[in-house]
Amino acid sequence: MADARTSVNVPAATAAPETPAELERRNAAARRAWARAGLVYVLLLVFSIFFMGPFLFATLSSLKDDPIEWPPRIDPPQLKPANWVAAWRLGKAGGGSGWFGSFGPGAEVPFEVTYFVPDGVEPQAPIVRVPRRLPGAGIGAVRPGAFAADYAIVSDVVETGRKPAEQDGVTGQLVTYSFTIRHNGEDVVADRLPLDLEVPFRQTFHSATLAPNRIERLGRVQSWNNVTPGVIPYVFYNYTRVFQENYSRTTGKNLFLTWIGNSFFLAVVKVLTHLVIASMTGYALARLRFPGRNALFMLILFSMMIPGQVTFISNYLVLRDGIFGLSRLWGQETLLNSFTGVILSGLCGGSAVFIMKQFFESLPRELEESARIDGAGPATIYSRIVLPLARPALGAVAILTFQGVWNEFFWPLIVLTTPQDKFTLTVGLLNLRQAYGAVALDWGPLLAGAFISALPVIIVFLVFQRYFVEGISFTGIKG
Amino acid sequence: MQSGRLGRFLRPSTLKTGFVALLIAVLIALPAAAQTTVRVSGWGGTDIAIVEELIERFVRPAVEPQGIRVVYEPIADAYETYIVNALSAGTAPDVFYVDIFWAEGLMRAGQLEPLNDYLAKSSVLRAEHIIPELLDAFSLNGQIYGIPKDFNTLALFFNKDLFDLAGVPYPDADDDWNTLADKLRRVAALGPDFYGLALQPEYARFGAFALATGWEPFDENGHTNVLDPRFVEAFKWYTGLLADRVGVHPQDVGQGWGGGALSTDQVAAAVEGAWILGFLRDSAPNLAYGAVPLPKHPGTGQRGNLIFTVSWSINARSQVKEEAFKVLEALTSPEAQQWVLERGLALPSRAALVDNPYFAQPDPEAQANLVVFQGASDGYVHPFKFLNYGGDWMAPINDALGAVLLGELDADTALREAQQRFDALTGR
Repeated sequence: MADARTSVNVPAATAAPETPAELERRNAAARRAWARAGLVYVLLLVFSIFFMGPFLFATLSSLKDDPIEWPPRIDPPQLKPANWVAAWRLGKAGGGSGWFGSFGPGAEVPFEVTYFVPDGVEPQAPIVRVPRRLPGAGIGAVRPGAFAADYAIVSDVVETGRKPAEQDGVTGQLVTYSFTIRHNGEDVVADRLPLDLEVPFRQTFHSATLAPNRIERLGRVQSWNNVTPGVIPYVFYNYTRVFQENYSRTTGKNLFLTWIGNSFFLAVVKVLTHLVIASMTGYALARLRFPGRNALFMLILFSMMIPGQVTFISNYLVLRDGIFGLSRLWGQETLLNSFTGVILSGLCGGSAVFIMKQFFESLPRELEESARIDGAGPATIYSRIVLPLARPALGAVAILTFQGVWNEFFWPLIVLTTPQDKFTLTVGLLNLRQAYGAVALDWGPLLAGAFISALPVIIVFLVFQRYFVEGISFTGIKG
Repeated sequence: MQSGRLGRFLRPSTLKTGFVALLIAVLIALPAAAQTTVRVSGWGGTDIAIVEELIERFVRPAVEPQGIRVVYEPIADAYETYIVNALSAGTAPDVFYVDIFWAEGLMRAGQLEPLNDYLAKSSVLRAEHIIPELLDAFSLNGQIYGIPKDFNTLALFFNKDLFDLAGVPYPDADDDWNTLADKLRRVAALGPDFYGLALQPEYARFGAFALATGWEPFDENGHTNVLDPRFVEAFKWYTGLLADRVGVHPQDVGQGWGGGALSTDQVAAAVEGAWILGFLRDSAPNLAYGAVPLPKHPGTGQRGNLIFTVSWSINARSQVKEEAFKVLEALTSPEAQQWVLERGLALPSRAALVDNPYFAQPDPEAQANLVVFQGASDGYVHPFKFLNYGGDWMAPINDALGAVLLGELDADTALREAQQRFDALTGR
């Protein structure tokens, strides 16, 4: 027996020879495991597409010329590398940089366009126009900048090549024309150089140095918003519009940047006040014994149960009168339209106190007792012992508060009404909706603005995922 | 026990300190108000840039020497809700926009200041300066409650390329319903991808045709009758255009409204107001379009039209009405309106501006604006308001139009259902 055992190979000894039935069973089990894993992955994928899909689709649409085009394309010209290269070259040719183009003195923009002309039709050079194009909506409609049309000189259009081709079963030829647009040298820089080309009816557009933004009049006119864009204004056209077209009449400040700054300022200040007040209150409620402690805690819990809509009118009136006239002590007639009002009306929330209290109660008392034996008072224990230990809870409060304040809409909308440079980003976005969407059904800038406003929260979430989950698991409360 | 503990916090000395602090705060607050402030409100969007510019150029220079400070507070969204709430709360601005669509409720509730006395005294702004149809829209029982800041009416916008391609003469001011339908039919015959008129299923467009027949939205008892033969005729003509692609629901060309449909190069014409111009500048800057007045009804020989307008009105509870009227004067001054007109931003409400050189330009936008401007006083024209029913009044008609245009109901059934709803709404 022993001989027989030593005579066989070691691996073979551990895995006894399988019968076909056993092999079949094992394979079946493996297949089931794979199938289960596959199912889980497919489900996860489906769910993530389901939840992320609208966001990704909106992001894609925010790059398009017509965000609500139907049927929607998933490969707009803005995503084609060939157009990026062209946008870079044309931006430089226009006198700007490759990233941000413009049309200034010294510009010499070469342009080439190819048409398909069916047999029997005499090819004709396109009519080239640099139009005076006024925006239909937004602030640009009221106060236009310099028009490139006033400074552009278009060269003669030259035919540079013909070659036979077939398109949709029709034989014909591809005819290429080229021309140059020069700046007349006056000391004026236009931020964009729009272009229209017009050809006779049966001559169809094939390709050009840069893909046109739209083809109009049954194919006769090809139209570009800007043929010297530079890469960023070309790919992120709606984004640059959001920044360029929104500035304040009175101060000349860039409104969109101001709104982002306001939202950041409010979020940071409120995160700080939340951290300070919530940690101190939470510690007092968790550890100190004083009369009315339970009543106070009940009151805080109660405040969490009242929807904001119930108290907003009284809060509004309190702010309008400057907290019963108190704000006049520091020279403010009313707290409406002031950041002080927004900050004071939301110094700390019940849920933040609740998170901190629950966390402090979970800390072992022995830590504090030993500190007390060493002669530390409540203030020292709080600042030296408890606060450093509370970092996870503080992180959770900070993130939830940041997210809450950044996305807060209703209250700033009511309190901050004038001037526009006081708006937060969320209120500003509403303004974009009115300025572009409602007037000209031009949803691009709004989508771009929405994407920008979502970015910080997405970044914060990706970086601090762990704390988000902890924040929820401490309390079962989100936000 | 609890109350005993709380009681310790509410000692008399604490209360006294609080009271004194409050008293000091109130005393500091008393000396204020050196200048009169007039608050002006409108809605957000492009209007903000326009009104800021108006205030800067025309209002401040006019009223600041008189010690009046103007504060502009645009409302980003839900303007109507804001105004109604603010009027109830007593925080409403002194001068603000009122849309004709919901003006009647505010007028009847006495929230708007009647302007007759102010207008009679003014040297700059008199009732006779304003186009009478517009002023009527903001009048109730002989009192004027607002000065229209601008307005819009409907016109027929058409795509010249499609008419050229089909070899059909352009629509013109002499067209009646039949000749226009004939022209549209010939354009639609270009091919299966081409259509005549964009048929928006809304009273805001269709209403102009119903009014052209001489039909009135309300009879002398305030009752609405959509089974009136005149209304039925207009309804059947409008929805009947769907046959032979003479008309098309904008959704069928992937668009939400007439302007969008016109920009596709598949639809020959749309019934819209001057608001379409800004959209076309951005979405179809090279579209070769024209605008003509709406077609006449073959029987009455008249056109119908709707007036969409917004006024500057004064808060009846304002503390600074005289000053507010001075601001209103400056906002609607001939210079201010001319500035707005010459930039193609809106149509002025002052009748004298019809002679402005802007309207004589060959530019298609100026021509379209002229047609829309003249639409206010041509034929059976009604303001876009419905006593104080607001949007509820239009819903039965819009639903009936939608149902018939989508082929869900036939015209007679749809109108019978609509009439039942009107009977419930406006009484038999």
